[in-house]
Amino acid sequence: MNCDCPASNREKPGFRNSSLVLGWSKDGGNLGLRTINYLNRKLEGQEFAEIEPERFFSLGGVAIREDLARFPESKFYACQEHELVLFRSDFPEAEPYGFLNSVLDMAVRHCGMKELYTIGAMVSFSAHTTPRQLFAVVSLEEMKEALSQYDLVGDTDYETPPGERPTLNSFLLWIAKRRSIPAVSLWVPIPFYLAGREDPQAQRKGLSFLNERLGLKLDFDDLDAEIRAQNQQLARARSGFPQVDDYIGRLESNLRLSEEENAELVRRIEGFLRAGG
Amino acid sequence: MGVRFLYEVQLENPVLVASWPGIGNIGIITVDALRGMLGAEEFAEIEPWDFFYPRRALLSTGILQHLEFPGSRFYFKRTGRKDLILFVGEEQPREGGRAYAEGKKAYHMANLVLDVAEELKCSRVYTAGAAGALTHHTMKPRVWAVPNSESLIPEIRGYENTVLMSDIEGGGGQGNITGLNGLLLGVAKRRGLEAMCLMGEIPVYLQGLPLSYPKASKSVLEVLCRSLNIDVPLGKLDESAEEMERSIEEFYRQIPAEIRGQLDRLKDVTYARPAEPGPITDEEKRRIMEDVETFFKKRGEGV
Repeated sequence: MNCDCPASNREKPGFRNSSLVLGWSKDGGNLGLRTINYLNRKLEGQEFAEIEPERFFSLGGVAIREDLARFPESKFYACQEHELVLFRSDFPEAEPYGFLNSVLDMAVRHCGMKELYTIGAMVSFSAHTTPRQLFAVVSLEEMKEALSQYDLVGDTDYETPPGERPTLNSFLLWIAKRRSIPAVSLWVPIPFYLAGREDPQAQRKGLSFLNERLGLKLDFDDLDAEIRAQNQQLARARSGFPQVDDYIGRLESNLRLSEEENAELVRRIEGFLRAGG
Repeated sequence: MGVRFLYEVQLENPVLVASWPGIGNIGIITVDALRGMLGAEEFAEIEPWDFFYPRRALLSTGILQHLEFPGSRFYFKRTGRKDLILFVGEEQPREGGRAYAEGKKAYHMANLVLDVAEELKCSRVYTAGAAGALTHHTMKPRVWAVPNSESLIPEIRGYENTVLMSDIEGGGGQGNITGLNGLLLGVAKRRGLEAMCLMGEIPVYLQGLPLSYPKASKSVLEVLCRSLNIDVPLGKLDESAEEMERSIEEFYRQIPAEIRGQLDRLKDVTYARPAEPGPITDEEKRRIMEDVETFFKKRGEGV
């Protein structure tokens, strides 16, 4: 261990000018986790450090998900060829400020991080056939200028509504701003009826941007095949269930569904996809 | 993690009055009303980010402009006699989903508040809070006073409309004050500072509801002003108390007549000494509480 942040650190990647891409588990459509896993797989990322959990997680037993006992994980991976650091983690349950600073400490002090990217899902009441947009919120004006050439929605005005709290990505962006780190929080809308499953089209949108911005030279044939397969499944769901077709058709026409209709659409689609379509 | 001073202040023999949100927001309304009535000026705040999750993000044209956290602010007012330091904590630092502050963060915050008090040569600390009591909402709330030093008891006995824990029937001088309004007393004692918590009574059947109870804040403020020897106009608190009383009456009318009849008997409760039998027996109190609990459970609200 060679780090004064609460992270264990196995073999430093030796980067001097890296970018950090960060995703959280339990994101809508598992977008953050799937994006990091995809990059890790394609770029052959090597785990090199993790944040010790005892300060940030309750550790009062283990959670069980998909039949398996899970333990909180907060891991860093290095992709040597592109000076890219990936971080994927569960949401910290305690001391979020300390946790987020630990992430930045590791990336800045030990990996020479110069830019930070977070990716997250935004649940949307649009149909899956609606083209995905990519929203960007930045920490510094200079980052906004640097991103102006990309296909991003970058002029959002927003205020957290009463009764809600800012996201962890917003908290991280704010800390980055205080530390003068150029950072961008990327948000991809995911149709609400896919938020509990996965949305490869949303994943593709975020990854396409990162590919271009970070010069990763990725091909997305596998992801495109996933998108086609899911679109076919959803088309079968529409042809098999007139009610599903009606609901999605109304969303395509920019009409809102009632709460009951929303819930019914989620139930039908999730059940259909779970059963293999 | 520390205290950020907006500017330095020099005060004469100051006392600190602090509060955080709790039942009926009685304590925090008391201190915040005092702050407003005196026109006290902010001079310092506790840096929030290690204690709290942010509550609001503000984006403008795609740039994160501001993240707002719950405030923990210090104010001062020169009175010509004892100067005042007021502390208003908008939220209690919670850990592990608990309702009130406890543990490392709470202890740290209490110490930061007292660091400021000691730096300014503070001679005494007051906190304000709520006491769930067998009383009726039409009655004037009393104030329960808990000092951290025996030397304060004679002074408290001289306050009007104020009781010590040993004066409360069945209490036996025992109880606890949850959260920072209580913890600050303990930490002050540890640091050799005299302190007391003044708690306004809230009827037990209202204490689990998400409402403010300014009527009790007024009672606390009356005692506090007497103790501090200051005079402030309490009219504004009367207005909000009357408004809340109307809402409570409306709610009260929805309670089934049988339970309401039991609750009406709370109008007769007095703070007799344990040796003197009160107008309601312990058995009757237990039954009233059971009836009230059953009623609120059915409505899906806490008592």
